[in-house]
Amino acid sequence: MWKKDGRFRGLQITASGLALTIGLAACGGGETESATLADSATASSKGDAVKVVWWHSMGGNNGKVVDKLAADFNQSQADIVVEPIFQGTYGESLTKLFASLGSDSGPAIMQMNFTSSGPMIDTGAVTPVQQFIDAEQYDIGQLDPNIVGNYIYRDTLYSMPYNASNLLLYYNKDMFRDAGLDPETPPRTFEELMAAAQQLTKDGVYGTAFGSSDAWFIEQFISNQGAELVNNGNGREDQATESLLDSEAAVRTFALWRDLVKHGYGLNLNSADSHKAFLSEQAAMTLASTAGLKNLLDGSEGKFELGTAFLPKPADAKEGGVYVSGASLYIMNDRPETEQQASWEFIKYLMEPKQQAYFHINTGYFPVPKASYEEPDVIDNLKKYPQFQTAIDQLNASVSNHASRGAIIGIYPEARKITVQALEEMLNGQLEPEEATKQAADEITVKLQEYIDSLQR
Amino acid sequence: MNAVLRSFRPANIAHYVLLTALAAAVVYPVYFAVSYGLMTSQAVESYPPPFLPSPVYFGNMFEVLNLVPLVRFIGNSLIVSSLIMIGELITGALAAYAFAFLRFKGRDLLFAVFLATLMVPGEVTVIPNFLTVRSWGWMDTYWGLSVPHMSTAFGIFLLRQFFLQLPKDLGEAARMDGCGHLRFFFSMVLPLSRPALGTLAVYSFMKAWNMYLWPLLMTNQESMRTVQIGIAMLKKEEYMSWNLILAGVTLVVLPSLLLLVVGLKQLVRGITGGAVKQ
Repeated sequence: MWKKDGRFRGLQITASGLALTIGLAACGGGETESATLADSATASSKGDAVKVVWWHSMGGNNGKVVDKLAADFNQSQADIVVEPIFQGTYGESLTKLFASLGSDSGPAIMQMNFTSSGPMIDTGAVTPVQQFIDAEQYDIGQLDPNIVGNYIYRDTLYSMPYNASNLLLYYNKDMFRDAGLDPETPPRTFEELMAAAQQLTKDGVYGTAFGSSDAWFIEQFISNQGAELVNNGNGREDQATESLLDSEAAVRTFALWRDLVKHGYGLNLNSADSHKAFLSEQAAMTLASTAGLKNLLDGSEGKFELGTAFLPKPADAKEGGVYVSGASLYIMNDRPETEQQASWEFIKYLMEPKQQAYFHINTGYFPVPKASYEEPDVIDNLKKYPQFQTAIDQLNASVSNHASRGAIIGIYPEARKITVQALEEMLNGQLEPEEATKQAADEITVKLQEYIDSLQR
Repeated sequence: MNAVLRSFRPANIAHYVLLTALAAAVVYPVYFAVSYGLMTSQAVESYPPPFLPSPVYFGNMFEVLNLVPLVRFIGNSLIVSSLIMIGELITGALAAYAFAFLRFKGRDLLFAVFLATLMVPGEVTVIPNFLTVRSWGWMDTYWGLSVPHMSTAFGIFLLRQFFLQLPKDLGEAARMDGCGHLRFFFSMVLPLSRPALGTLAVYSFMKAWNMYLWPLLMTNQESMRTVQIGIAMLKKEEYMSWNLILAGVTLVVLPSLLLLVVGLKQLVRGITGGAVKQ
């Protein structure tokens, strides 16, 4: 078919120069070149070491930390080679994982976020780390129970926490001072928060900029009041069948958002914009993850003094706690047993206080073993960033129950979309807080049922 | 004199105002990316945001190159995009020739089926494609990255419409002189369709350059990844450093901007070429 008579070159000239020539040149050798490159990059130097592929979603310098931890581990022993691979966001990574199950292209260790715990467990593709813990009597007591507890489902630890964070109230101490508020006593209750926001609001400056695009904030406020998000022990004793988003705690949280915006004390923005508004001193308080502390410190440097505080709750609320979110490491059960065992060895290495200290200082996530707080580097770091002490105190103050562990459901993305939608409709004045939470709870319950049906099929 | 006066007529002024506004709308994102990419994080977060970076801060660029092997990714993207571009030109031109010049049974129905595939969103086909290509063992290869995109209904449609506009007499004259299909295709149709081929080339190159999900699925080695994954690697889960991300975007946009500059003449001719036919 392809008789290359002289005229064929017409096409080359046509298709506008440069890139085409490069393409043709590369076309020949591309495949082989890449294959050799990849081989030389991995196990070849170590003979028959076990290769452990680790899929993760850590971008920016957090990705560098992943590479460093894996490289250090590979140096420290000769039997196992860990190869970390970035796989996009958690959602993209999960899609790829499900498409790869049962093939040889999947990972041995999978980093997946807390909100995907439901799907990860329900697929049955995971070897719970509990098995390895029981097999060798690994002392789980050395790890922070407030972090590990989140990944316990039906009394089994399914995955090992990797990057743990929770939600903090950030505030601008300079603006507090200017408004006549004590910068060292930030608001602890909803009532104090409203009063402070009112006092801070003046001359185009707002008291709060709380992101309303992130249902995670709402969930945290509800957990903090000791209320569960779904039934069956927050989905931890059995598959949740009903949303409890119409609880009093939820109504009060929605009402707080509404009142702040309605009275003009709060800016209604998405989370990224709310951080921008906070850093550009248009608002005195905002909500952000503990893992965002370093960025907020960088952004506020030379402009104002940054304060951190516990998440406020109503004065008469039940005991609860903010739940730890972030992601954990799963061991996939479709890999050979040697690989799974090797994965566990690596996870144990990661959980050593020294590695966790390095990890904590460079990423801003919590260290998982409590002993890390005694490492000199961590002590120095906390002196440098006293704001992080608030995050640790808040974590320790958390009461241990199903509510403060966060819900396990299979449909977090949908549930959050529904929650944000209801929140927006309320902020637009279409719904009262009671109506908005009821509407969201009903819709989420339907989705929960659909999810259970899909599992049974 | 007359011409100068005419250019000041109200209608013309209105044209220019409109064109300037549209040009500004097109240039704004580019300006935004470049200027934010050259700012410190404090400058990016201030209000109102500064119009131009002062001082110009190149630290972001270095940090991006330190965080992500962007040069390697740009090389990969160039190879993959070029392969796709060439593949799409070849398959598009051949198929379009058949639909425009050959007469065979069911031709129009077949063409309609091709067009109908335009209605299928790419997200639907991505997982089946992934499973197919993986079963061929093409993970982490340039072939796996490019082959599934080497033929598109849009390319065939674009070229067929252009081929149909070529004068009928030309084909008849050629046939009278004993010119076969292959010869007619290479020596008449292709040279005369340079504008359309150029348009398709630039379009498919850009589309391939901007692919994200497919390369993410197809590659498991950093050495085989493409530029858009590099940008995603700059994002953090909890917080966005816009100055870093936009510095990365600036570096990544440069090669495709270059291609646009080189291919612009073809592109403009391609667009206007179809518009003023006889």
